[in-house]
This record gives sequence, structure tokens and C-alpha cells, in this order.
Amino acid sequence: MTSLQLSKRLKRAAGLLLLPALLYSQESTVYVSVVATKLFVVGAANPQTGIHYQHPSADTVWQKTGPNNIRAFGVAAFPGSDGRVLYIASGNGVHRSTNGGVSWKITTGWQITEVQSVCPDPRDANSVYIATPYGVFKTTDGCATWSPCNNGLGALFTSAVIVDHARPNTVYCSTEDGAYKSADGAATWTRLGLSVGNVRTIVQHPQRPEILLAGTESHGIYRTTNGGSWWERSEAGIDHNTFYTIAYDLQHPDTVYAAGYVTGVYRSLDGGISWKRKNDGLSVLTFHSLAVDPRVSGRVYAGAYWGGVFRSDSGGESWRRVGLGDSQVWTIHIQP
Amino acid sequence: MRAIILILLLGCFSSSAVAQMPARDAYLRGVADRARFITSAYDTSTAASYAAVAARYANNRDIRMADSLFLAGLREPRGDMFWMFPVIGAYLHGKDKMSPAVKQAVRNAWKTYAPYRGDTENHWAMYHASLFLAAEQWPGLPGTEWFNGKSSDENRIEAKEYLIHWIGITTTIGQGEFDSPDYFPEYAISMSLLADFAQDADMQKRGAMMMDLLLADFGAEHLDGQYLGGFSRIYQPAVYRPLMSGASAFAYLYFGSGEPTQSSWVVLPALGSYRPPDIVYRIATDRSTPYLHKERKRVRNVIRFGPEKNPPVYKQTYVTADYGIGALQGGLLQPIQQHTWCVRYTYGRPYTTIFGLHPYWSSLELGMFFPEEIKPLIADVVASKGTYNNPDKWTGGSPFERTFQHNNTLLVLYDIAPGTMTEHIDGFFPRNLEQRLVDPSGWILCKAGKTYVGWYPFQEYVWSEERDTMEPAKSAVGPAKNNSVPPEHDSGAQARGNWRLRSHTLQNGYVIEVRSEKEIGSFEAFCTKLRAHIPRPTLIPGKVAADYVTLNGDRMRFAFPEDRTLNGKKVDLTAYKLFQGPFVNAEVGSQRITLTHNKAKRILDFKTLEVIQQP
Repeated sequence: MTSLQLSKRLKRAAGLLLLPALLYSQESTVYVSVVATKLFVVGAANPQTGIHYQHPSADTVWQKTGPNNIRAFGVAAFPGSDGRVLYIASGNGVHRSTNGGVSWKITTGWQITEVQSVCPDPRDANSVYIATPYGVFKTTDGCATWSPCNNGLGALFTSAVIVDHARPNTVYCSTEDGAYKSADGAATWTRLGLSVGNVRTIVQHPQRPEILLAGTESHGIYRTTNGGSWWERSEAGIDHNTFYTIAYDLQHPDTVYAAGYVTGVYRSLDGGISWKRKNDGLSVLTFHSLAVDPRVSGRVYAGAYWGGVFRSDSGGESWRRVGLGDSQVWTIHIQP
Repeated sequence: MRAIILILLLGCFSSSAVAQMPARDAYLRGVADRARFITSAYDTSTAASYAAVAARYANNRDIRMADSLFLAGLREPRGDMFWMFPVIGAYLHGKDKMSPAVKQAVRNAWKTYAPYRGDTENHWAMYHASLFLAAEQWPGLPGTEWFNGKSSDENRIEAKEYLIHWIGITTTIGQGEFDSPDYFPEYAISMSLLADFAQDADMQKRGAMMMDLLLADFGAEHLDGQYLGGFSRIYQPAVYRPLMSGASAFAYLYFGSGEPTQSSWVVLPALGSYRPPDIVYRIATDRSTPYLHKERKRVRNVIRFGPEKNPPVYKQTYVTADYGIGALQGGLLQPIQQHTWCVRYTYGRPYTTIFGLHPYWSSLELGMFFPEEIKPLIADVVASKGTYNNPDKWTGGSPFERTFQHNNTLLVLYDIAPGTMTEHIDGFFPRNLEQRLVDPSGWILCKAGKTYVGWYPFQEYVWSEERDTMEPAKSAVGPAKNNSVPPEHDSGAQARGNWRLRSHTLQNGYVIEVRSEKEIGSFEAFCTKLRAHIPRPTLIPGKVAADYVTLNGDRMRFAFPEDRTLNGKKVDLTAYKLFQGPFVNAEVGSQRITLTHNKAKRILDFKTLEVIQQP
């Protein structure tokens, strides 16, 4: 056996067990969280719920990692950990793995439940934010303890938290009451100028941090270019009003995708000002998650509310289903 | 002379409902007999059920078979917390008898199978009670030996914390999933397992005290095996066949009421050692004097679209030996399966109830209680609870429904917004009523044995006959303006369907009067008296109201939604205590529940974990 063969065999063996991103560093790792399959009832067998991952070259083949049956709403990897540090936001709380998914621990107690999304602070491995129906919680000690951070929020129901990539300690969250910003690491929140409530998602331009997009329940997509003081509704080309997910193409930040309730997938080539539907190949129209491969512009994944995962390698021009059956895919996270 | 006195004494004794109750040892023998009957369906069963495994271990029936069944069940764990409690229950009954291999398999299952914790109170009670007991059984293990990565200590401490928290809110502002005929077992099993098996003496005591409380709470609103409404959650068909609920199986085991059952829900309690104290049994079965029971419960966690996480629920129930009538104040108090009011009685099993509702559903309602996306939520819920968006459903609350109850009289008002999913209200009348007459006065007069029910609709309506299924067996009978009941269905129509009263007017309502033969005499006397009591409704959008003088002469005025006046005095629902009545009493926030029966008292003090029994 040559050293190359040995290396490949070791990588294959290890890759099946752990550290998928480490060993296939030429490809991104796509993680998806599956909330449920088919039945929406506690106690029913839901074998596919939890976290699945793949490398894009695996096409329709997915690996399962972490516990089953936990109503996995969100998934995230700590940037720079090469996929070793993973988080799941779930009905059971926040699960964390520090060994690429070999073992997991629920880091939260009974008080924190039905966690909607998880966002590690890329600047601080010990800090993680989560969005829950009971508000925002944060850990600063590597998940040993969690504290509520709701000072200033007008309503607790929170669907997403994101960390500003340009400004330390600046955090945004989307809530039932609207979009909020914190400049002190979630210690206090200030309502942004967005006039509508029921904000479901908020994303930040990858290069111009003052630009944010927000997807809402029943109010469409809003865009700000001044850090949130003033927002304009994106109306050009949009025929729908409920958007659960928005994703930038990191390599071409003017290209943005959005999707939601029976929307199919919308694409904008001007940073979210105008949009076009790109549904060729989509057999379902309600999507809860979108992500663009940071390594490959135009490679887009779309997680269906019921319908598994779709992928486009043409910037949304055409789509095909790449697995996970009829499952409800809540979040897609792509780790470069 | 002595003989005469003795006969007289015996006569007095036998005429007293209290005297008819068995002594403690006779009661316990009765429970033991019923427990044997229940478990006999399981301890010889070869079905791979955890109930059979537990029964075989507990009753020493072919332990090798129990081992084999246990291993078979553990091969593919499923069911989340519905897996956790039967597995730990079976293990605790058999741990000293099972083979080492089975013991290891059980242990391994708690390492490899990750149950979902659930999203509501009954789930959390089962999850944490089971996890607490499991952590006690396998102490000192690291997180790698548990499905959630937490150590035995972490699991035990966290589960205990949750259980103490839940007991705390339940005994201060009330249970969230309160008075649920179908979810009562989930709580009772969890608490009885703690009472039977917790090694932590305080937790064992908490379990036993909560069992006392749950059963007293049920017992005070219990009649002939039935839970008396309203309810936080109930399924069809238990809503119109009351003895089909899980709570009724507990009534059979502990109160000896209802019908014999071998429901798997009561296997673990039947095998266990917890038995309710005498006073609880007496509360549940002494119906010698009619009484009013009031209580405050709370709404399940409202996670959005509402200003308050756990708004209060005000419930009252009037109970006699023949019937009970109870109501919540109405509105959206629980998702999906609320049952706002009903009359239930002892006559005519299985259809021993009359009730009404506005069949309502909305994504907004679901969004208040579930974190998933609200627009697809109706379809998601319907996938498992198919009746939710059925306009003919018999369960569910409505924001357009409110009630005002005074003893055995109930006013119900509806002010339904135009464009609501359903623009009708429904009433359920069982097929086995002895009489169901439409009187020229407007009253619908029903006779159910010794219970008489009057229903005065405020608007026109139609009747339709239907089977137990959701689908009407026939189309509506008779024109809408002719409220007559077809003569062939006036009485004794046992083989035919139940009857649905449907009224299609948005501003609507009715009055319900219930009396027993003992209270009012003959059915004819009831009818005659009701004819002189005609409600005066006001049915203008936004101004729905009704004035009514009850059969007892009390003046009720009710303006939708929350303006209730009794004999000229405003009714203040916020004054409701946690429990208030002849049998169960507690102040809001007190954590101190007093059970009373005649001169006997039992005080459950959850702050100090003291149980004081007097005498």
C-alpha cells in the first residue's frame, strides 16, 4: 500500500466518523437541520430529524450526525474550527459537539426550549447567541452557562440572531415585534427603524455592513442601507409577502436569494432592490432555508418546508432535488 | 327497643351517602381487585408492550418471557417521553428479577436513544420524571453514558429542578394543561412513578402529594367515572363518549366508578403502591349534597401574539348526584382541543353529555402556542389531528365565544367576526336522550333519566343527524325556520345518530338550564317552569348581550365579551381562588391546598412538603 493509498484510506475512514470538513478541505461542508419528517406529532417515529451533512460532490448522499428525533431547528459551525465545533438549536435545547459530531452534549437546561437558531460569535469561541420563543440567550463561557438577554426587546419571540461581521459586540435579532440591534453584545437592544413586526430573518451584506435585509411574515422583504435606521420595502418583482430566509452570494454580494411561504425562490442581482422568481425544477414552493456555497458562486441550496433539499449550480436558473425526502428542512449552514 | 334503635340507626346510616362509603381496608381491597383485573390483561400477554413487561415483573409471571419482551421492545426505541416512562416503569418493577443482559440493554438504551423533550407540559412532566428516576438508578455515570451528554448528576439535578418548578406553578397559579380527560394520565403516571420509586425522599413525597392533588382536582369534578368540563384538552370521541378518556380509567382504578377497563394507561399505577388517601376517594364519590366548585387554572405558554405568557383560566362546575355542568370563561385558552363547557350526567352511557361550541381554527391560534411558521401550521397540525380544521368538529375554543355560569345555569354568547373560517355554532345532543322536544316557547327540552336540560337558542337553527364519525349521516332535517324535531326522532332513537344543532348567525347565543328530578320534581314541572323564563338577548354586532332570570330567580346580565352581572352586582372573575368549594380550597400563590370532607381535612403544603391530616 502506497502512502497515498494509506492516506486516502485513513481519510476515508476518519471522514466517515468525524471531521468531514477537515479532510475534504477543497470542498465546503453543507449542514442541514431537519425538524420533522411527515408527521407533526410528538412521539411519532421521526428518524430523519436532526442534522445531516454532505460535501457537494456527494450530490444526493447525506450523512447523519448527532442525536435523532430532537426537532432540530438550527445548525451552525464555529468559523475556523474546521467543522469540529458544531451547534444544534433544537427542541431539546442547544447541543454542542467539539469533535466534529462524534459526541454531543445538551448545554442548556430545562428553561431553554424550542431553540430556533444558534449563532456563534466568530471572534470569540466562548460566546454563542441563540434565538428562542422566550427571547435571546447568550453564553460567554463556552456553553457552561446561559443567560437571557432581553433588555429592550418589545416581544420575546425571536427567530434569528446574527453577529455583525464588521463590528465587535454588534448583534441583530429578528423578533415578533420587529428587528433589533445591540451594540453591547446583547446586553441591551434598540428597535431598528423597520416599521413592521413579525420579522422572521435578518441578514447582513457580506462586504457593506450597513446594508441589511429582513424577511417578514406577511410584510415582504425590507432593505436598509444605513444600518437599520431607515428601511425600504423591496417590491420590484415580488408577488409574495412571507419570507423565512434570505442568503447572499458571498462572492457576488449583489446576488441575493430569498424564499418563504409558497414563494419558490426569488433572486436579486442588484442587492435586493429588484427580484425575479427562479423556480425551474422546483417541485415544492415553500422554503425555509437558503444558503450559497461560499466557495462556489451560484451553487445554492434550498431547504423545503416539506420536501427535502434542492440545489442549483446555476445561480437559481435550474434546480434539482438532492435528497432528504419529504423532510422539513429548517436551516442550511455551509461551512467553507 | 334496642333492635328498633339499631334498625333506625342503620336506616339513617344507609340513607347517608357518606355512610355508604367503604372503610379504608374495604376501599383498598376494592382498589386491589380492580388493579388485579387491569393487570391481568397484561401479565400473561405475549405482546411486546412495556405494560406487559412491567406487569410480568411485578406479578412474577414468567420472568424469562418478560425479559424477552423487554429486549424485543428495546431493539427499536421510539416514542420520546412516551417511551421513557414505560421503560423506566418496567425497569423499576423488574430490576431485581431481570437478567443482567436485559439490565444492560435498558441501561444502553438510555445512552443511545435520544428522546425529544417535547413542547408542552405533559411532555415535560413525563420526560423529567422518567429522567429523574433513571438518573437515580444509574448514579455517578459520566455524560458519555447518557443520550444527552449530561452526567447522571446533571440529569438528576436538572430533572428535579424542572419538576419542582412545575409543581410550584401548578400550586400557585394553576396547571396549564388542566382538567384534561385525555392528558390526565400523563401527569398521574409521572407523579405516581415518583411516589412509588423515587429514592430522594423529598421527591417521593412531592410525587405522592401531587397525586393527591391531581386526584382531588379530578375528584371534585368527577361524576360516575367522568371528568366534568370544561377542559383544556380533549379528543374526539371522548368529548361525546366521556368514559372513553384516560382519566376515566383512573376513576375506575381509584374511585371504583365508571366502567371496568383494562386500559394500558393505568397499568403502572395499578402495579404501584400509591393509593389515594381516604379523603380523596370521598371527595370523588360523595354526591349527597349539590355543590359549586370553582378554580383558577392557567393558559399553556403563550409564546407570541399575546401580552401575557400564562393568562388565567376561570372555571366553575356545579355538581349533583345526577349531573355536572361546568364552563371555562371562553376565548382562546388552549390550542386545538379546548372544550369550553358541557353538561355531563349519569344517564345513558355512552353518550352522557350535551355541549356547544363555535368550531374555530386559525394559524394565529396555533402561532400563539407553537414556534413553527404560522402559515403552514394548520396543514402541519391537521396531518396528525385531522379534525382541527373540520367545520363539523366537536372540540376547540374560539375567540368569539364567552360564557357566564351561575350554578346550574349557563349563558353562552357569540359575536363572530364576518369572514371567520366557520360562521356557525353547533350543539351536541346525544341520540339516547329520553326526550328532546322543541317547545313553542323556544326552549329545547331534554330528559336524560333524572337529569333535565333546557337549551334556549337565541337564533334560528337546523338539526342534523350524524354518527360518531365527523361526517353527518344525513343532511339537515327540516327548513331552517321550522325548528321542529322530526317526530320519529323525538325519543328512544337508540339506533340512530346523535343530533347536531347548527345555527348560522354570527351574533348568537343560548341559555342552558339543568336540573335534576331531586331538585325540581318531574320533567313536566321543569318544562312548565322554563316556559316562564324566556331570555332577552340583544344580537347586534359588537353589542351582543343577554338578560335572563334563572329558574332559581337570579338575574343574570351578560354582555360580550366580559361584562357579567349577577343580581345587579358585577362578577369579578379575577377574585377566583386557586380552588374554592366544599372539598378543595387554596389561595392563589399559596402552594397550600386544603382538602375537606365533612370534618376531615388534609392539608398539602408544597412549600414545606408537609401533609397534615385532621383527624
